[in-house]
Amino acid sequence: MNPPPAQAALKQPEHAEKNYFSASLTVPTDRITAIREQLLHTKYSICLERPMLLGQFKRSQQGRRAASDHPLIRRALAIAYVLSNRKPKIYDHELIIGNMTSKRVAANYYPEGGSINILEDLFRLENRQIPLYLSTREKWNLARIALTTSLSSVGAKTLLRPGRFRHFLDFFRAKRYFITEEAGIAHQVGNYMDVVLHGLCRSDQVARRCLQKKTLNDGSPLSVDQEAFFNSVCIVIDGICRMAKNLADVAEMKANAPGLPDGRRRELRASAAACRHVPYYPARTFSEGLQACWLVHVAMNLEDFEQGMSFGRLDQILYPLYCGDIKTGRLTPVTAAEIMASFQLKTCETMPLYSQRIDQYFSGNAVAQGITVGGTDAKGNDVTNELSGLILDAFAQIRTREPALHVRVHKETPSWFLEKAVEVLQLGCGKPSFFGDLAVVAALESAGMTTEHARDYAVIGCVEMASQGRTYNSSDACLFNLPLCLELALNQGCRFMRRNLLRQRFGAPTPPVEQMKTFDDVVAAFRRQVEDAVSEMVRVISWLEHTYRTVRPTAINSIMTDGCLDKGKDVTWGGGMYDLTSIQTAGLADAGDSLYAIKRLVFEEKRMSFSQLRDILKSNYAGYEPLRLELVNKFPHYGNGNADVDAMTQLAADIYSDAIRAHKNTRGGRYVPGIYSMTCHIGFGRNTGALPSGRHAGARLSNGLSPIDGLDRSGPTGVLRSAASLDSHKWANCCALNMKFDKKIISGPAGKKSLSGIFRTFFDQGGMQVQANVLDADMLREARKDPKAHPGLVVRVAGYCAYFNDLQPDVQDEIIERTAHGAG
Amino acid sequence: MEQGSLKKHRRLNQNHPAIFAVQHFCLHDGPGVRSIVFFKGCPLRCAWCQNPESWKTFPEVSFKAHLCIACNTCVKVCPRQVISAPGIRDISACDLCFTCVDQCPSGAMVRFGTDYTVDAVMDALRPEFPYMQNTRGGVTFSGGEPTLFPEYLVDLSVQLHEQDINTALETCGYFSPDLDLRCLSDIDLVLFDIKLYDDGLHREFCGTSNLMIKKNLKRLAAQASEKAGPPVWPRMPLIPTVTDTADNLTTWADFLKDIRLSFLTLVPYHNLGSSKRQWLNLPSAPNYPAMTDERLQKAKLLLEDRGITCFAPGEEAWERAGVSG
Repeated sequence: MNPPPAQAALKQPEHAEKNYFSASLTVPTDRITAIREQLLHTKYSICLERPMLLGQFKRSQQGRRAASDHPLIRRALAIAYVLSNRKPKIYDHELIIGNMTSKRVAANYYPEGGSINILEDLFRLENRQIPLYLSTREKWNLARIALTTSLSSVGAKTLLRPGRFRHFLDFFRAKRYFITEEAGIAHQVGNYMDVVLHGLCRSDQVARRCLQKKTLNDGSPLSVDQEAFFNSVCIVIDGICRMAKNLADVAEMKANAPGLPDGRRRELRASAAACRHVPYYPARTFSEGLQACWLVHVAMNLEDFEQGMSFGRLDQILYPLYCGDIKTGRLTPVTAAEIMASFQLKTCETMPLYSQRIDQYFSGNAVAQGITVGGTDAKGNDVTNELSGLILDAFAQIRTREPALHVRVHKETPSWFLEKAVEVLQLGCGKPSFFGDLAVVAALESAGMTTEHARDYAVIGCVEMASQGRTYNSSDACLFNLPLCLELALNQGCRFMRRNLLRQRFGAPTPPVEQMKTFDDVVAAFRRQVEDAVSEMVRVISWLEHTYRTVRPTAINSIMTDGCLDKGKDVTWGGGMYDLTSIQTAGLADAGDSLYAIKRLVFEEKRMSFSQLRDILKSNYAGYEPLRLELVNKFPHYGNGNADVDAMTQLAADIYSDAIRAHKNTRGGRYVPGIYSMTCHIGFGRNTGALPSGRHAGARLSNGLSPIDGLDRSGPTGVLRSAASLDSHKWANCCALNMKFDKKIISGPAGKKSLSGIFRTFFDQGGMQVQANVLDADMLREARKDPKAHPGLVVRVAGYCAYFNDLQPDVQDEIIERTAHGAG
Repeated sequence: MEQGSLKKHRRLNQNHPAIFAVQHFCLHDGPGVRSIVFFKGCPLRCAWCQNPESWKTFPEVSFKAHLCIACNTCVKVCPRQVISAPGIRDISACDLCFTCVDQCPSGAMVRFGTDYTVDAVMDALRPEFPYMQNTRGGVTFSGGEPTLFPEYLVDLSVQLHEQDINTALETCGYFSPDLDLRCLSDIDLVLFDIKLYDDGLHREFCGTSNLMIKKNLKRLAAQASEKAGPPVWPRMPLIPTVTDTADNLTTWADFLKDIRLSFLTLVPYHNLGSSKRQWLNLPSAPNYPAMTDERLQKAKLLLEDRGITCFAPGEEAWERAGVSG
């Protein structure tokens, strides 16, 4: 797996280089195999420890007293209570300790968020696509907790209010948009550099000093809110330390148990010692560094919720510790890879809690805990190091659905590294995904970041990007259905579907198509519909933001985000150095191809009147199959390097981007657009009528930046050319370009060189992101038929990876059908 | 079977080949990521041929019955009214105006072969240049038989070289020995297809004698070793019971060693071509047994015993032929 040393153009000390490239790091040790097997064979469950502790706290004397406290303190006390009272669990063999839930693999239940939707499945938990196993008693508990906390969720508190019921329905039906922010904000890449380098003690000291002096760092006096904020910081840090101490106690107890092999005893003692030191104090070793990151990660998960909590650029953060340990002989690349693999396996302990209904929007059971490797420093110099490679090697050992791996690519990215990343991709787990520094940095600059900060970006969750430790992204705040806006524009703001008894208008009152005399009129109506939907969405999000400030502030996240301690503000109050609300859309290619079809059919070739076309669409092409087929087969489509239709895709993207960028959130931050869709292109598709692109009503939409399925007929380079030709500088919430390659075609060293070559070209041309499945279609069909055939088969869905068996059947079909590139 | 007489093909206008496809992201026909330009017209008629649309030099209409929705558009739009029902066309009366193909909504009617100027081909290839350059790939001329159009081939390869794009020629080897050397001077690699060693069998299965093919291979190999011509890399379609017989493999192995070529790409048989024959209303190809792993290994062993290293398509060690990688 490793290239010969001659190819390695590293700027590292020679001894380290030799060690790394001569070691075989992709073969799992027995320990890693054992942990992995255990995780893969554990049935999924739901952990109720967190909501029960929250309930306990509320009923306790402390909790009752806290009810009259400042909201920031109230929340911090509750979170600290959860952290310090949860039961520590240490599993066999693991080198990094700290349980994410009370069970081996489980979803946490978040009463403040959207977890209540699981009640829809209460009576079929074991028979869902993703079965969940609970004892009868636990089910009772689940029902009790869900019902008693149902009104305490952010969504309910925001929308179940007089005058907002219509919005609640709108929100619930999820047609024009799907507001995910209701479940929680999370999606963060915190300042793990600070945790490893200085420990939480630095933040603790800052907070204490401010409280003592009653001033901010800059000397200005504290407001009541600011005082409460600094108190909340101290409270949650104390909670995290208690959680670490409890873990250390259990580790020590285990270490003293009789009959344990000496080796394991030593490991447990080392873990105990680490947990008594980090994350409060700076990490002293590579292993402690990872332990510190993991503990804070667990705390952040328990504070907000699990989606997209990411680690950032671990190859940069841990590199000094790694070098130090290698130098002193404490580590070899092999042992470092083992620790890294054990760390990565920890991320498989958690999963999201979705009902079947919600799952069609986010199928795949992914939480996407991102690790970013490669890239440049603030000055733009390449900083790819051997740890960047080692993180990929460690993943090659485990090949699981988590963590998410992201590789930064720029002009100076060494080819050994890019080729290693492609080798990991060839393993068939859909990882890593690739990001072009050129385009990403430009987009982040357009969102207001300095070049230096933009260059220090890391990927959040699936594809979202942030200057690590400086940004409060609220990425994935809302999913947007762009093609539906086009449907509304063609029908005076109403949907096409016939059973619209109330003739209810859904969007803005745009003129009937009969009055549209030029293509510009169509564009104007479309723009109007998009703006209308965006405004409505922004209104609901702003209500949610208000609720967050009082109900669900996040002190731990604030410690992890630069700017908060300086301003004395929680991130939900606008404390982050950069504050954004990030939206993403589905169906860009559908919208672009449809605009092209309208322009050509109605205005250029004048083959039919606009009202005729609208009626055909309303009837879902009934009696017009030849026309539909012509649109599909004979009209050019985005994804084939055709400049005319790509220009329409750009137009659709700009209309969407401009509508999003025209807004500000209530924290004072900007709205930024992104183009990716999880699996909501399927859910949204069901609710979208026929489109001029030749798409039937109800069919799935195009996903992310990808072409319409099956209409990329010029091969993968055609797709890359089209995608790279689009101006992406407004997409500060990134985009997802899905590709699928047949394993037979691109395997081996030649395939590796070809793939890394075309990816490099794509990024040279300004491409932003690309991710790929390297799969054998036969294998997938087998797995579709018999889930037991390939239990560990990992595929990339939208921006994230999932076990194939965890996907909804229609998502499985989509993955199978996606053009098998290279099959020609 | 129509005999591909060389004379007949030489009468063609060498500047106007019909191109039936320009396909991008090909990884199996030369080093790196390549685009293939498929020329129409082939002097051979190999029984197993997978590209029957490449046989004739002139453009053709084909019909993919499984895509047809019976909308009768083709019947209605044909200016000479030679289509009586979808898929039924009086070929002798058709003047190949392709109106039916242009108007067919379902994609059932397909055109094979378009007169592309060299500039038009360059335009189709140009967007792919960066992908080729970053993978040390290039353009492969295939077909059909590109050497039927030497002048066009020279023009195209010279223009590609001006753009710093490397070129490969895939040939069946059936060309006149006086084929202009200039024709190969801008080719960086020749992929030379060999099939049957026995002349009688070659006539039976491929429709022509193979004497000239062997002579050409020998000559090109000699030129390559003297650096007087482009590197040559032989390839063989491995057709069960036809080309994979012990006799055929050993005789070829000896011949290759004689001319100092010690490597060979084996292209395992698959029957994708059979539906294409239906589209073109051609009699279907004979059914050969499936290519099994076992057969492939056996063939490999036979060849490697005689000092010929075998490669799978796309996995060749090109530097062995002197291709700079």
